[in-house]
Amino acid sequence: MDYLHDVVVVGAGLSGLRVAIELADSFDVVVLTKVHPLRSHSVAAQGGINAALRPDDSWESHAFDTVKGSDYLADQDVVEVLARNAPLAVIENERWGTAFSRTPDGRIAQRPFGGAGFPRTCYAADRTGHNLLHTTYEQALRRGVHFYEEWFVTSLVRCGDRVCGVTALKIPTGQVHGIGARAVVIATGGFGRIYGNSTNALINTGDGAAVCLRTGVPLKDMEFVQFHPTTLYGSNILITEGARGEGGHLLNADGERFMQRYAPEKMELAPRDIVARAIRTEIIEGRGFEDGYVHLDLRHLGADRIKERLPGIREICIHFAGIDPIDEPIPVVPGQHYSMGGIDCNVRGETVLSGLYAVGETACMSVHGANRLGGNSLLETLVFGRVVGQAVGEYLKSASSPDSAAVDEQVFSERQRLQRILMRERGESPATIRKAMHRAMDEYAGVFRDAEGLTHAFREIGRLRERYQKVALGDSDERFNYALIRTLELGNMLDLAETIVLGALKREESRGAHWRTDFPARDDKRFLKHTLITKTAEGLKVTYKDVTLGRFEVKERTY
Amino acid sequence: MMFRVARSRKGGQVTHYDLYKVSAEKGMTVLDALFQIQDLMDPSLAFRYSCRGAVCGSCAMLINKVPMLACRTQILELPDLSVRLRPFSALENIPSGWDPKNEVLVEPLPNLPLLKDLVVDMEPFFKALRKMRLWVEPEEGDSPRSQSPEDRQRISRYVNCILCALCYGSCPVNAEHPEYVGPAALAKAWRFYNDTRVAEPERYLEAAKAPNGAPLCDLVMNCVRVCPKGVAPGGAIRKIKDLM
Ligand SMILES: Cc1cc2nc3c(=O)[nH]c(=O)nc-3n(C[C@H](O)[C@H](O)[C@H](O)COP(=O)(O)OP(=O)(O)OC[C@H]3O[C@@H](n4cnc5c(N)ncnc54)[C@H](O)[C@@H]3O)c2cc1C
Ligand code: SF4
Ligand code: FES
Repeated sequence: MDYLHDVVVVGAGLSGLRVAIELADSFDVVVLTKVHPLRSHSVAAQGGINAALRPDDSWESHAFDTVKGSDYLADQDVVEVLARNAPLAVIENERWGTAFSRTPDGRIAQRPFGGAGFPRTCYAADRTGHNLLHTTYEQALRRGVHFYEEWFVTSLVRCGDRVCGVTALKIPTGQVHGIGARAVVIATGGFGRIYGNSTNALINTGDGAAVCLRTGVPLKDMEFVQFHPTTLYGSNILITEGARGEGGHLLNADGERFMQRYAPEKMELAPRDIVARAIRTEIIEGRGFEDGYVHLDLRHLGADRIKERLPGIREICIHFAGIDPIDEPIPVVPGQHYSMGGIDCNVRGETVLSGLYAVGETACMSVHGANRLGGNSLLETLVFGRVVGQAVGEYLKSASSPDSAAVDEQVFSERQRLQRILMRERGESPATIRKAMHRAMDEYAGVFRDAEGLTHAFREIGRLRERYQKVALGDSDERFNYALIRTLELGNMLDLAETIVLGALKREESRGAHWRTDFPARDDKRFLKHTLITKTAEGLKVTYKDVTLGRFEVKERTY
Repeated sequence: MMFRVARSRKGGQVTHYDLYKVSAEKGMTVLDALFQIQDLMDPSLAFRYSCRGAVCGSCAMLINKVPMLACRTQILELPDLSVRLRPFSALENIPSGWDPKNEVLVEPLPNLPLLKDLVVDMEPFFKALRKMRLWVEPEEGDSPRSQSPEDRQRISRYVNCILCALCYGSCPVNAEHPEYVGPAALAKAWRFYNDTRVAEPERYLEAAKAPNGAPLCDLVMNCVRVCPKGVAPGGAIRKIKDLM
């Protein structure tokens, strides 16, 4: 065992940093991250963070919107913790220095967001994630949080029913090390890059969730993948919902504001799944532009408002699409955006293994159910980063030291596994397999799904997983071997792709972001349940678990 | 389209340049081209990346002798991108054989130790944040502070810094004085000094005025020209100097 700490936090996005801050004063915490903390995907969040801050808003109303938005699949006890603690999380970050946008009388400004009954999304222009992440990182530095930067976690070390550390590849040297720990927190973010068309950073490959799956920890609700309605045509860079929150219109090729046919009341601000399906339908039925996009028109907002509220969006359009939204409408298409599913854990982040915790986008507590509301996931990282940090602190009071022999054994077998990949001289290129995975997922596990397509995708992913066993990198170096990193990431994504497709195939209903054209109705009798997928010696096992209800009655979801 | 890419297996210095033929498409960025090289031609090529949307600050490098973000640089627009910078050796030394008309030249960001190929050691750049303690000392309290939109606006451009280090890599003073904290750290100090919510603003100004800070700046303004986020660190440094 090369390293020993009380806690290893894997991931330095908002959730990992917030956990570390909670624990740093009392314990030996190290945050391990495959990129510098400020390069984590949290930095890219644009639109904002939800909190009921005003006297005429309430946490109950925030909780209700979240539960309804989730198509009643969210666990209501978890949602309650989220909504109740939201103001505290926002205020804490404001007091740490985040430069939120302001109302004329100096309060934190809030904008309307999809699926919300009140304008409760706090924002820092359209760079909210950037502001929150830089501020939270500053506070982690202030507290002297210890980082292992550019370390890539390859596996969890399990000893019986508990976790006792991780193995990680130190990217600058290419060496695999064992890090023993009494507790491990997985905060590795989303896994959008399983899809070809995604708003996510290129590093969002779900390593933490895949490592958990391989260690026997169940994944929950993996079939629920959010497709954002408005991503820039071509690069799929996100065009924030804030653009519609500020009053942007969606237009088809006939110049029609088509949302009036899908959600007459909320129009462009209906929840994401509904708007994404509407856009796809317009395109499929031939009312899109050229080979398939619609327009997001901001021109009527005027240059001043665009420059003040949406400067980042304007920059993105200019640099990545060559258009200025002050003068021209933005070409948009739906694209993968958020992973509702993830590592099965409870409201304290606890998983089936003692000492193993999950938090942030990679976790599934479940606070977003079948569809996440915009502005709720930045919130999730900060609220539950604190909650999970506290839970880990309590656990550490009685947790014993890790078993160093188990760590050493695991390091040995991980070194062998990586050596096998590196030594293979001939074989298929990872890029070919990655492309085929993207095609299968975009085509058959996207906005619209059916049994035939999903069955096809399931077989295809199975074949790709086999081909992956014979993948060869070609000549590369030990140090900074990014080709190896990307190959390991591909292996992780293939494992997760299989669970997404399997969960989607088995869920014979339509709920939230999961839309089955062959089962277009919600089926509460059979499926008001969480899907759990566990890897066993016999293969993937699918089971179901009840949803925690209690506060809000399950109803039909209309907007 | 041909790419001439600086290589350094062991770090330290560029040992040679490799030439690759990239098939260029509309909308393709320099970062896309580097991935094409890594995927199809040379898996050993090392470079950093994350967001591919010019927000994370990972991919700063020297492209045709101009410090730029690889992910924000469209390769078909490269010929039109000319930025007038005060030269220093890393910007002036042309590798032998480079044909600027037909080849895109990609090199590591100057002024930081080279680790491998296009990967540089960012530690000297980030160290300044810790040494100058560029963070807020939070005071107890359970409500948000008030700030007028005008006061928020005053720090807006500095808050937008993504800490990509393009300014650091473009600065002739950084090239000569490795101890210089660099433009971004000074702009960040100025941001805290001007934040009406901060309790002890003087401490940031003092940190910026230290001998390895603003006094070393010659107001060359390369930083202002290369910054991808309009932060204009040079403007902040000028104001710091005015208070000295
Ligand atoms: C474009 C975009 C815009 C968004 N806008 C909003 C918004 O306006 N409001 C909102 O609420 N939500 C938004 N979201 C969602 C939100 O940003 C994310 O859900 C959230 O930031 C995730 O934070 P995280 O801490 O869980 O993970 P991340 O910030 O993704 O961090 C993951 C960390 O894990 C590390 N890591 C991963 N794998 C490994 C490994 N193998 N070894 C070591 N380290 C590893 C990474 O280095 C990184 O530090 C947006 C998402 C996208 C894609
Ligand atoms: S000031 Fe500009 S160039 Fe310098 S680090 Fe910040 S964003 Fe990059
Ligand atoms: S990859 Fe994030 S700035 Fe270029």
